[in-house]
Amino acid sequence: MLLARRTEERLIRLYHQGRIFGGVYAGIGQEAIGAATTLNSRPEDLFSPLIRDMTVHIGRGETVLNIFRQYLGRATGPTGGRDGNVHYGNLSLGVLTMVSHLGAMLPVIVGAVIARRRRGSESIGFAYFGDGASSTGDFHEALNFASVMDVPVVFVLENNQYAYSTPVSRQYRCRNLADRAVGYGMEGYRVDGNDAVGLYLFVQRLSRKIRHEARPVLLECETMRMRGHGEHDDFSYVPKSLLRKFSRRDPIVRAVKTLVEAGVISEEDFSALDGECRQEVDRAYRRALAEPEPDPATLEEGVYAPRGNDLS
Amino acid sequence: MRREEMTYLEAIRDGLRHALRDDPRVVVFGEDVGRFGGAFKLTAGLQEEFGEERVFDTPVSESAILGGAVGMGLCGLLPVAELQFVDFGMTAFHQILANAGTTYYRTANPVPITVRAPCGGGFGGGPFHSEDLEALFSHVPGVKVVYPAFPSDARGLIYSAIFDPNPVIFLENKYLYRRVKQLLSEQFEPEDLGAARVCRDGDDAVVITYGAMVHEALQAADELTAEQGYDVMVLDLRTLKPYDRDAVLAAAAATNRVMVVHEAWRTCGYGAEIVAFVAEQVFHLLDAPPVRVTAPDVPIPFAPSLEAAYRPSVGKIKRELLNLIEY
Ligand SMILES: Cc1ncc(C[n+]2csc(CCOP(=O)(O)OP(=O)(O)O)c2C)c(N)n1
Ligand SMILES: [Mg+2]
Repeated sequence: MLLARRTEERLIRLYHQGRIFGGVYAGIGQEAIGAATTLNSRPEDLFSPLIRDMTVHIGRGETVLNIFRQYLGRATGPTGGRDGNVHYGNLSLGVLTMVSHLGAMLPVIVGAVIARRRRGSESIGFAYFGDGASSTGDFHEALNFASVMDVPVVFVLENNQYAYSTPVSRQYRCRNLADRAVGYGMEGYRVDGNDAVGLYLFVQRLSRKIRHEARPVLLECETMRMRGHGEHDDFSYVPKSLLRKFSRRDPIVRAVKTLVEAGVISEEDFSALDGECRQEVDRAYRRALAEPEPDPATLEEGVYAPRGNDLS
Repeated sequence: MRREEMTYLEAIRDGLRHALRDDPRVVVFGEDVGRFGGAFKLTAGLQEEFGEERVFDTPVSESAILGGAVGMGLCGLLPVAELQFVDFGMTAFHQILANAGTTYYRTANPVPITVRAPCGGGFGGGPFHSEDLEALFSHVPGVKVVYPAFPSDARGLIYSAIFDPNPVIFLENKYLYRRVKQLLSEQFEPEDLGAARVCRDGDDAVVITYGAMVHEALQAADELTAEQGYDVMVLDLRTLKPYDRDAVLAAAAATNRVMVVHEAWRTCGYGAEIVAFVAEQVFHLLDAPPVRVTAPDVPIPFAPSLEAAYRPSVGKIKRELLNLIEY
């Protein structure tokens, strides 16, 4: 969580300094969700993170260096500069690479989990998406599909109160989005998405259960988008009182408090960890910056996979 | 008459405002278009002026937006639906292909809807925020496709699109939104759908194009005149379907050398239609094989170095024009 926070803070600074080409979309305030889920995952599990999910990438072992390479459009990065910012993944870490179309990754991860399981692995899936994406047709089709096919996917709904400028009151009219689970014949839960420790314990039980039962589940995590939709957006449409309320529930501050009180870590441990994270971010940024941009001569390469290239 | 400098984006907003004022049946809706004014702030101020009944936000539901528009159009409104990016309209393409495109033909009930869709790249948007899908829309029977290059056209055409009794896909180029400006008067004449315009005269060759590439073509033509003394005509199609066949044939006949430029992909791209049409109709008048300057058939890359190589440029158009003229 801390490494993701420090990485995003640096990306935000770079954006406002004009040093990032394209946009920056941050998941600040939502770090607990990716952390609690990836910490409960196994190597064979599959993930489809979206734009607020830096902690999913880091939780699955992606390096900060690769993340900076991606944002700087470097030839050495996960997409080789062919795509930018949040559009990266790493199939060898079980992380699918998103497209921008909201909802579109949900059927994809259902299919991916089906394939892994047909081929004998015990994979389950974790699919991340927002309150806005819950209004797409793909959302409905994917949940119904997973349910009918008995595919164990945790549909992690990050309800961060806004879809761009649109508040949840203009997005849906059920009381809780988790209630929709009933309509798909699966279980639905609504939990505090900013309580990393509580969420970790909850997902621990939940993931055991769905591994065992091979059933999908809808997990609505209540949280808050603490920045604009992207860094270009001043989010003046978000009431300050709402931001204040959630800044008191900052997932990192809360987790540290819980862990210090429980005697798991000390304040000094935390400071030391923070120092390390900052150093890692610095090092990664500087190194990525020195690496080359893609060569325009490669523009038309790699549109089709060569024969015999069915990576699995 | 009072004249005001307007960007392409402001001109579209002004066209919407006029339509909303002139006819109570006009409604404008889409994701974030209300108080927020849309992802590009194009609809800023419209909800304040016309109220939430006329200008409203929808959930993130493209099928509901486009399918809903079809229903509204069938039953007495003049809906103007905004796709936040044209790319996301593909999650509801069947609403255009099946519902919007076939209803009048099947039932004689008109579907007077307008779908506004920001298109095009050149700003680091990567593969899912930079698409140019005019060829897909132009393939669909029963829909009209408009793609303006200048503020005055954008304003006059959005107005006409809204009052056209057919589904009109109104493509807007994001690169032009704030880059091109014109002095426009408050009152204006609607522009005819289906009419191209010669925006630069010349007899050595013609560049047939639309959208952002009109500006690249004009610059290339100016530079060629300055550097080589050649005079290149630039024909702005403005409406891609149905397109102005007479203007295309007249331009081909006047220059005998035809180039089509577009920002979109090459294979089965819009240029293929124009080149095929010219070849079918006036093959005997051509002094050189027609040329297409387009993006290559690759997903739109993010990195500046790659995107610069991807997008047709003034330099590329000039080089190809020289080859065409000196063929
Ligand atoms: C199908 C589709 N329509 C529209 C968009 C444009 N868009 C990008 S993000 C966004 C809002 C997303 O809200 P939400 O799903 O709640 O995720 P959050 O950004 O809050 O994490 C919209 C409308 C899109 N990416 N895909
Ligand atoms: Mg949201």
